[in-house]
Amino acid sequence: MTVVSETIEKRRSFWSIVRDWWLQYFSEVPLLAWLVGALVAAILEMLVGNPFARLIGMPRGPVLFGFLIVLKTPVLIPPAILYNIVIYALPVLLVARLIGGLSNKLAAWLFQRSVMLSTIAHLTLMYVALHVWAGFNDYRVLVVKLILLAIMVTLSLNVVNGYMGEFSCSHPGFMALGAYTASILSILFFVDDSTFGPALLPPAIGQFAFPIILIISGAVSSIGALLVAVPSFRTRGDYLAIISLAFTFIVKSLIENMEIVGGPRGLRGQPDWATLPVVFVWTMICVWVINNYVRSTFGKTMNAVRDGEMAANAMTINTRRTKMVTFLFAAFWAGVAGGLLAHVLRYVNPGSFGIQKLAEVLAMVYFGGLNSVVGSIVGAVGFNLLSEALRPLELYKWIIIPIMIILIMIYRPTGLIAFTEFDVKKLIQPRNKKDREA
Amino acid sequence: MALLEVKDMTHYFGGLRAVYNYNLSIEKGEIRGLIGPNGAGKTTIFNLITGIYRPSEGSITLDGENIVGLQPYQIAAKGIGRTFQNLQLWRHMSVLDHVKLAQYAKIRYGLVGAFFGTPLRHRQEQEIEDRALELLELVGIRHLADQVVTNLPYGAQRRVEMARALATDPKILFLDEPTVGMNPEELKDMMEIIRQVHQELGLAIFLIEHRMKVVMDLCERIQTLVFGEVVAEGTPDEIRNNPVVIEAYLGKEIET
Amino acid sequence: MAFFFQNVVNALQWGSFYALIALGYSMVYGVLMLFNFAHGDIFMTGAYIGFFVATLFVGLSASGILVLPNWLILILTILLSMFLTSFVGMAVERIAYRPLRNAPRASAAITGLMVGIILETGNLALLGARRQKFPELIVSQTYDIGGVSVTNTKIMIVLVSIGLMVALHQFVRRTKWGMAMRAMAYDFVVVPLMGVSINLIAALTFGLGSALASAAGILFGIAYPVLDPYMGILFGWKAFVAAILGGRGSILGAALAGFLLGFIEIFVATIFPSTLRDLIAYSIILVILTFRPHGFFGEPYSAQLRL
Repeated sequence: MTVVSETIEKRRSFWSIVRDWWLQYFSEVPLLAWLVGALVAAILEMLVGNPFARLIGMPRGPVLFGFLIVLKTPVLIPPAILYNIVIYALPVLLVARLIGGLSNKLAAWLFQRSVMLSTIAHLTLMYVALHVWAGFNDYRVLVVKLILLAIMVTLSLNVVNGYMGEFSCSHPGFMALGAYTASILSILFFVDDSTFGPALLPPAIGQFAFPIILIISGAVSSIGALLVAVPSFRTRGDYLAIISLAFTFIVKSLIENMEIVGGPRGLRGQPDWATLPVVFVWTMICVWVINNYVRSTFGKTMNAVRDGEMAANAMTINTRRTKMVTFLFAAFWAGVAGGLLAHVLRYVNPGSFGIQKLAEVLAMVYFGGLNSVVGSIVGAVGFNLLSEALRPLELYKWIIIPIMIILIMIYRPTGLIAFTEFDVKKLIQPRNKKDREA
Repeated sequence: MALLEVKDMTHYFGGLRAVYNYNLSIEKGEIRGLIGPNGAGKTTIFNLITGIYRPSEGSITLDGENIVGLQPYQIAAKGIGRTFQNLQLWRHMSVLDHVKLAQYAKIRYGLVGAFFGTPLRHRQEQEIEDRALELLELVGIRHLADQVVTNLPYGAQRRVEMARALATDPKILFLDEPTVGMNPEELKDMMEIIRQVHQELGLAIFLIEHRMKVVMDLCERIQTLVFGEVVAEGTPDEIRNNPVVIEAYLGKEIET
Repeated sequence: MAFFFQNVVNALQWGSFYALIALGYSMVYGVLMLFNFAHGDIFMTGAYIGFFVATLFVGLSASGILVLPNWLILILTILLSMFLTSFVGMAVERIAYRPLRNAPRASAAITGLMVGIILETGNLALLGARRQKFPELIVSQTYDIGGVSVTNTKIMIVLVSIGLMVALHQFVRRTKWGMAMRAMAYDFVVVPLMGVSINLIAALTFGLGSALASAAGILFGIAYPVLDPYMGILFGWKAFVAAILGGRGSILGAALAGFLLGFIEIFVATIFPSTLRDLIAYSIILVILTFRPHGFFGEPYSAQLRL
């Protein structure tokens, strides 16, 4: 008996030491300082990453924190860990700790000026760090872009499935609509193409027209969503699940039968407009708008629809309007994400918007957590990183990932980080008491 | 003219006659009670007036305006607030959110405000929140504002429902067995709240209740419903001594 | 006219597969209010189990250890595979659905989806991407009836399917277990209080559904003797839609909707280019569901997602 209790105590004391250490040195470090730390680490990696990696026995700097090599060549695990500590962990911790006090003052100053300004400053810093980090390797750029798009898709599906509690399967269909609309528009207007003819507008302005193209893609998705919403929201129940599923199949099949967009072979030749900054800005706008929506009283009617539609109706809430608006809104963002995806890959084919995509998106939503913006971000990032990390396992990856998701569902049926509110203000404010009160 | 006027309302579920020839007229500031044995159709009458079912026959007017055929949310916005017999709270939401959401009809910032967080939105959200806190103060659960409703004790949940119904700015409040399942302590508090609401906000109240004491104490006039038909109507004293009511509740005396 | 009847025969066969699979969806949905998104892959697993059992018997016969006539091998294969696959179904229920019985239904749908992926990938990992050829158990004979060519396999497939559906119907109507299943479909909360074990009934429901899916898989293997690990996806999702079209938990509805889907697909494919098959089939289903949201035989109900 005593032995057992001793070990438990010892273990607890170890963690409490770590926690105390963390609280002592880092509890007052604001986000600003962490971002600067990340930037410094990224710059450090750019300067000495490859030489250092060779020094400790790796062929070059690891692409994704060594996730990829760990499974391929386990011998490299110690150097990968060393690399992560020396290049990432130590600089981040050091810098964050060193400039903690100063950055608190800066954060307080920014925060007082305006929340918007402060948010933009943080995002800019975050982007610069991300840009430098991703610039280290072309593969990283692609992975980062895809993860950002996954965040958009996951979040927009979470709005319907998590916040509103309906089960929608139509997101691949919406993405396909967006992807094809955007591709057709940009190829038709700005690219000389054999099927769509010469560019109708000077290609030079294409980059500036891209946001408009994306908004149109989103709008087309929303129109598609109207087709699903009108019949399925008349009655409560599982009809949305079935009708939206049929919708996904119909869209896929429709595109496969349209020879002008290449049928099942797909469509290629989209201009290279979806650069990292473009994707980043769109993702941040998406997160911002969705977070605004779900936190407004107007948006919380979704939760009322989910938790008790009859009561919602009796409390003056027009639930039908809520369902329509929410569904179209979610479809809009799926369409925008689809349009961006087509331009990131510069190729799109109907086969990639089928059941596989559906399973992937649903997995990300439920993995991360329902009714939670942070959950969706964690879900999208986590799922994609996991998927990249397990890539060396090839086939077995698709056994391990489903098992992990089943386990998560069993132990946390609503996902890892469910039912939380995402408050930007809390994130960007200074961490020490003095500056916060100022 | 009465605030709420129901004339000759009849409703069938399939072939079953649930409510027959029901008449009601409630004045401003009146407290009216509706009693009757289980299955008499009391909640059905609530659901008919509040628009959850559409009556097969009859007319309902609120402030002289016909409300038959309107959606429940429209009727609620016109001024009929209600609570439910079996609590219908939104399980994942905080108390404050409940009371804020019920002020939905007041929101003017629209989609632009919801998506982009305009100054108008911040102002309105603040107003709604202030009002919500006032109402929570009124029903005595302001200190629980940030709690998730499922964590609250039963009595407090009832109060949340009350505050939520009040937040819709009703002209008349429908209370469906507000004291069901309460202990004597909670019962006393709830009656106090109902009285207070009635006095401070000057609301008309239409009350379904099982406990005679509550109805007799609160109501000015009482209707008794048996098998969907009103068998007696009058002041508490009249009802108490009405043989038909006694029979409906206690059964017929066996003739010996 | 002969052309028309030819297609009717083809549609009957094609619809049998859908109908048998749809029954499994419909039963699970009716009794437990769950979408069993792994069911398509259980169909695939059933087909593979059938393949192994048949190959085993054929091998035994050929080597002279246990010489059996082909018709007996067929019957044994169907019965044994149904038996074995029902355990796959019960295992799926045990692993993916039972732990989530009090969780949101959507979460259970996700676990089902994941189990489906595991079955597909597991199959691929075990057997490789090479397609398996189902052994030929019946020597195909073609009869010409008034210009309509009918093979003996087609007749056999349709008859076996209908026989299984009737058997299932009788089981649900006449036996104690069937009664328990119907009661559970009617009321999930009270029935367990009457001494009926939810776990047992859930396992039974999954087992029965999987057995039927396995039969569908074997019949499919006889008609189109090429098996691949992803065959369950297309069939499964379509049969799922058919099950919904039939109405919640209605056995007759699911069977009829399965045949209807078969008819739609076959006739679309003969009139239009076959690439339009899915498009038109799903569009028709969408239109039907718009006007009959509860399917052919479903009763209006209101399902609250337990979130």
